[in-house]
Amino acid sequence: MTAITGDLKLPKERGKAQAWAIQALPVVVRWVAALGGALLIFSILLMIKGTNPIDAYSDMWSSTFQRSASVEEIFTRMTPLVLAALAVAVPARAGLTNVGGEGQIIMGGVAACGAYLFLGDAMAPAVLLVAMIAASVVVGALWAGLAAVLRLAAGVNEAISTLLLNFIALDVLLFLIYQPWRESRTGQPATQELTDLAKLPVVAGTAVNVGIVVAVVLVVAVQVLLTRTRWGFRVSVAGGNAEAARRSGLKVAFLVLSALMIGGALAGLAGMIQFSGVEYKLRPSFGHQLGYIAFLACWLARHKPFPILLASFVFAALSVGGDSLQLDSGVPAASIYVLTALILIAVLGFTTPRKKTS
Amino acid sequence: MTTEPAARSRHRQPLLEVLGLTKHFGEVKANTDVSMEVWPGEVHALVGENGAGKSTLLKMIYGVYHPDRGQLMVDGKEAPIGSPADARRYGIGMVFQDLRLVPAFTVAENVALAMPEGMTLKLGRLADEITAASEKFGLAVNPAAKVGHLSIGERQRVEILKVLMTGARLVILDEPTSVLAPSEVEALFRVVDHLRGQGFGVVIVTHKLDEVRTIADRATVLRGGRTVMENVVPSDYTNAQLIEAMVGRSVSDLERGPSVALVESGPAALELLGVDCVGDKGNLALKGISVTIRPGELVGIAGVAGSGQRELCEVALGLRKPQRGTVQIDGHDVRTPADAMEAGAASIPEDPVADSVVTRLNVVEHMVLNGRPFPSRRLGIDWRTARRRTDEENDRLGLRIAAWNRRVSDLSGGNIQRVVLTRELAIASTLVVAAYPSRGLDIANVRRTQEILLERRDQGAGVLMVSEDLDELMSVADRILVMHDGHISGEIDSADFDRQKIGELMIGGAA
Amino acid sequence: MSLIVDVLSGGVRGGTSIMYAGLGETVSERSGVINLGTEGSMLVGALGAYAVGVETGNPWIGVLAGAAAGGLLALLHAYLVVRRGASQFASGLTLLFLALGLTSLFGASYVGQPVVGFDKWDVPLLSDIPFVGPIFFQQDPLLYLSYFMVPLVWFVLFKTRVGLLIRTAGERSDSLTVHGYSVRTWRMIAVTVGGCLAGIGGAHLSTAYANAWFENMVAGRGFIAVALVIFAVWSPFRVMGGAYLFGTAIALGPALQARGYEINQFLLDAVPFVLTLVVLTVLGKKTLSSSPAELKRVFENAPPAT
Repeated sequence: MTAITGDLKLPKERGKAQAWAIQALPVVVRWVAALGGALLIFSILLMIKGTNPIDAYSDMWSSTFQRSASVEEIFTRMTPLVLAALAVAVPARAGLTNVGGEGQIIMGGVAACGAYLFLGDAMAPAVLLVAMIAASVVVGALWAGLAAVLRLAAGVNEAISTLLLNFIALDVLLFLIYQPWRESRTGQPATQELTDLAKLPVVAGTAVNVGIVVAVVLVVAVQVLLTRTRWGFRVSVAGGNAEAARRSGLKVAFLVLSALMIGGALAGLAGMIQFSGVEYKLRPSFGHQLGYIAFLACWLARHKPFPILLASFVFAALSVGGDSLQLDSGVPAASIYVLTALILIAVLGFTTPRKKTS
Repeated sequence: MTTEPAARSRHRQPLLEVLGLTKHFGEVKANTDVSMEVWPGEVHALVGENGAGKSTLLKMIYGVYHPDRGQLMVDGKEAPIGSPADARRYGIGMVFQDLRLVPAFTVAENVALAMPEGMTLKLGRLADEITAASEKFGLAVNPAAKVGHLSIGERQRVEILKVLMTGARLVILDEPTSVLAPSEVEALFRVVDHLRGQGFGVVIVTHKLDEVRTIADRATVLRGGRTVMENVVPSDYTNAQLIEAMVGRSVSDLERGPSVALVESGPAALELLGVDCVGDKGNLALKGISVTIRPGELVGIAGVAGSGQRELCEVALGLRKPQRGTVQIDGHDVRTPADAMEAGAASIPEDPVADSVVTRLNVVEHMVLNGRPFPSRRLGIDWRTARRRTDEENDRLGLRIAAWNRRVSDLSGGNIQRVVLTRELAIASTLVVAAYPSRGLDIANVRRTQEILLERRDQGAGVLMVSEDLDELMSVADRILVMHDGHISGEIDSADFDRQKIGELMIGGAA
Repeated sequence: MSLIVDVLSGGVRGGTSIMYAGLGETVSERSGVINLGTEGSMLVGALGAYAVGVETGNPWIGVLAGAAAGGLLALLHAYLVVRRGASQFASGLTLLFLALGLTSLFGASYVGQPVVGFDKWDVPLLSDIPFVGPIFFQQDPLLYLSYFMVPLVWFVLFKTRVGLLIRTAGERSDSLTVHGYSVRTWRMIAVTVGGCLAGIGGAHLSTAYANAWFENMVAGRGFIAVALVIFAVWSPFRVMGGAYLFGTAIALGPALQARGYEINQFLLDAVPFVLTLVVLTVLGKKTLSSSPAELKRVFENAPPAT
């Protein structure tokens, strides 16, 4: 965005405040117009399908925001998104495109499940949870680290390798669910459900697991990591110009590897939370598209940790709204992806004032 | 090699007339009231420093920009040139400095790109046409060769041929000689001479006065967007007069005394022994090279581009690992960039935009990337101290760099170079490796840079300087090593500097 | 039929949709634009062909619809990337979700509906050749069409002016502008054509291969196609070979299981992806250096945090 660059310090004089507002106005208008356009197009599509958009929207709104269970559901769905989006943001600082959140989440979930199955209920819940977290973080980091190694050693672009690893992870998941870890011979294949002891505790008085707290804490931590540590600065240099970083004596390989692995660790943690706080078992649809949505949320937030919170909230809210679409309006839940995509298109394409020539 | 513009008497109209062209970009007055004329059979030099407005003028002649005021005339008739296609239709051909050829394509494919005929590419027939044209114009070119494999001189020939084949009568060469060796420059000038003889008009854009004298019939000097001298005959003026026209004031010759700080004993500032090194394309770029630079001396490296100078600098700085041999700075082994920096090396890269500029970071964030530990505070960097140091270093060097919070990627090439120079040269070092340090700078800053390098030398650093400008090397170096094909083909002491000899060594002749 | 013929025949059949998409993505990437939304183009192509096939009873019109749908989606990607400066990865993925959502929204009513698809048609004479015949010439007409697509794409890319312009856009865009062509226009054309081909690939999937429509039926083939293009080093003929290779890996499982061999389905499903990774690793830096130069810049540029 060229209108507002750099850190925005609160203006001290009134004149400055006015100038800021004048600069901000076209930006606001652009966003409102873009988002309005997205809603409009979605409405038209709903109408083609024979659904009254106004009814659909009001049902969505009331189901989503006026029922505490739904609001809590938003926070629940938001948590892994935040973590997986951070998993894109950290490597992005190093100039890396991590599309592998999907696979890293799955592997994190698999690792957590594995820890649970291996250690069982014999351990104290706190220790078990810690073990599951450790397993998911490590496996997620390694899964991403694999892509980093391939990039460093063989020049394989990480956008492609993390993408491919997503599918491999999915096959690993399916293999485990259908064979060694399968719980029952009949019905839908899945692993056994976690006992209460292994489930993540919830925030008092709500149904939201404590993962949300972890997510918020990590947002702050990542922000500090990226902007206020020497490592973060070095990673910015490596991401801005790897050759310049090399010439300054920075160890680019280490920075690339560590950035991608931290990303993988965050996504792995998201997988653990999804497993132990939301789904409680591994199913073929575990983590369903979370990684890609998080990638897009990160883009929406322009790779900045605090806006990631907001973007994740929006996408989670849309997701919950999508359920309402199915229940109340009879429209398939996946249709909400249309609105999500339209909003992204609106933002990606129509909220920056300058037009780039290719 | 200049001839009187005898052709002029045979023609009644100039090939191209530029009349009072003006182009302002807001505050920036790129060209104001510029006029010149080029006749058929004339070689016309367009002279000026970087930033004088040459490229804006060219872009208007070629239809990329539209002038605010003034007009262009071709063959005495008004020629409204609204696009490069128009310019081509009027017979104006442009050979860009960066040669808009596609390296991955063959010569024939590149020519096909320029010739809009037909849905299918008849490359076979085109190859025949290319061969015929190359004989006619005296430009040896192989249609089937992949452009990426050709040398710069060869690529230039392809580009000129392409331009001629599309019907150009006026050929504009934009700074063609900056990447050529003396012998290749001679070859180019032979071509230009040939074209002149065949009645083409040639405009050669340059800032090198010796070339102007060698090849141009007439010259126009631009400074600050205006024509200071129009259509003059170069031999009517002295160098001092021409320089003054280009720069606006007289610039004294660089004072260079013999090195006062040459240290004979102790560790060398830089020592390469028997270094073999592989280049990017897998070939051996350095072949058993040994170079020693003592503290307190400035050694110049001359050579045709691609003789191994880049690899030499990279090996010296730990950026490239030699397959054989040792590298030491100040007696310390160098295997990584960190080693080199710890041993006290400073580096001015050949292409600062590609190699030094980090996207999104500002000036002070670049200044801390000098290989020294970051001024730190808790987990992060103490930016206040960093800013203070930047100011100090800026004052010390006097190159007047941009404000600390400006994004370096937004700065002009010259400004970027100044930031890099300040960062690298403000602190004492044992070795300075400067690759083409004057590129992109205007004459005042070039002079200052050379002074700073000499100051460093006098303070005891060893300086390795690679340059394409033999005059520059001869004016600052204590001795010059000439590289050719990965070897040192010769070494010449300052007392014996001779252009001819150096030129021969550059193409592999014996010393 | 013997096991090998069975498997290879299934491989050719299964690889055809990937090949169409791969050919399309080759054209797009040769112009300098990578389209992760290829999966989405295949998806809308699959639904488009199926739906129109159901409504009209003519699978060929369905193919046209599929091509149009895939092309439209890709056109959107081209517009966002070329004219609005959006990130190629983000735009591609966004359009994938758009496709998922749209096909879910409009495809629900077609699940379970039978369609007149492409029936097998044995090529006279050629299909009788031992071994080769059953593999290549006892397939459906849309697959036969793909045999012509490969040399056609090759010819257009390397022997016509259009192809030269597209490749120049991908190698050195300023060389294109200096000759008066619009880089934007040619990239948009290339990407859209890519989407059309991907749409045809999707059409093959729904109206020839599976003869069914269900949500998310493309199941990663579009991504395989994108990876395929890279390890085929942007060459149409190698894309063909690679597509059949992957198709075979996918077909191997069911074929073996049908004969009672106990084989791990998911292991085989992972083979195309692992294979791609292996090949990319082995080819290593050489692949990067032979890529279209402008595409290289897309891969090397940092995701901008504005």
